[in-house]
Amino acid sequence: MPIIVNLDVMMARRKMSLNELSERVDLTLSNLSILKTGKARAIRFSTLDAICKVLDCQPGDILEYRDNAHSGMTPE
Amino acid sequence: MSKSNRFVFIALNVVAWIIFVGLCIEAGALLVNFVYSLFKPEVVGNLYEKLDLSQIYNINQWVYFGLYGFILFISVLKAYLFYVVIVLLLKFDIEKPFSNFASAQITKISYVTLAIGIISFVARQITMGLTHYGFDTSPLDRFWADSKAFILMAAVVYVIATIFKRGVELQNENDLTV
Repeated sequence: MPIIVNLDVMMARRKMSLNELSERVDLTLSNLSILKTGKARAIRFSTLDAICKVLDCQPGDILEYRDNAHSGMTPE
Repeated sequence: MSKSNRFVFIALNVVAWIIFVGLCIEAGALLVNFVYSLFKPEVVGNLYEKLDLSQIYNINQWVYFGLYGFILFISVLKAYLFYVVIVLLLKFDIEKPFSNFASAQITKISYVTLAIGIISFVARQITMGLTHYGFDTSPLDRFWADSKAFILMAAVVYVIATIFKRGVELQNENDLTV
C-alpha cells in the first residue's frame, strides 16, 4: 500500500516509548504495533486525533503517501 | 450471548451428537451386514431393520451389490456430515463467529450435503429404472426419499457459507482497524 505510517519517526522525535503512547492514547499495544508496522487496513479519526494530540503533530506527520511507481516498490 | 441462545446452542450440540451416534450405528450396521452377506448370502432376506433384498439378490447379485453400495455410501456420507457439524459446534466461538475455520466447515457441510443429495437422486432414478426389469426396489425407497431436500439444503447452506466468507473478510478488516 502506498500509505506509509511514520509513527515510529514521530515517537523517536518526541522521545516517547510505545508503552507510554499506548497508555496516553488509550490503545492496546497490539493495536499500536499493527499501526506502527503498517499492517493496519484502516485508522479511526478518533485514534488519529488522540495520537496527534499526544505527539503534538499533524496527521500528515504520521501518514505519508508514497507512489509505488516512483519509489520502486511493488504494490501489495 | 443471551441465556436462551446459550441453551439453544447446547441443545443443538446434544441433538447433533445423538444424530451422529445414530447415523454411525446405522452405517456400521449396514457395513457389517454387507460384509456378512458376502460370506453368508442367506442373510440378504433379513438385513438391518428387516431390510429384505433377497428378491434383488436372487435376480442379479451385481444389482444387489450396486444398490447396497449406494445405501452404504449414503449412510457413511450422512455420518460424515454430522461429524463435520459436531467439529464445527465444538470449535465454534459464538463471541467471534466469523473465522476461517467456521467458514471452511460450513462450505464442507454444503459440499457433503450436495453429494448426499446427488447420489440419492441418482440412486433413486436407477431404482425407478430397475422396477421395469422386475426388481422389487420398494424396501430401498426410504434410503433416498429425501434426495431433493438434501439438494435444496445444500443450496441454502452454500449461500450461508458464502455470507460467512464475506463475514470473515469483514472481521479481518475490523481486526486491522485501529
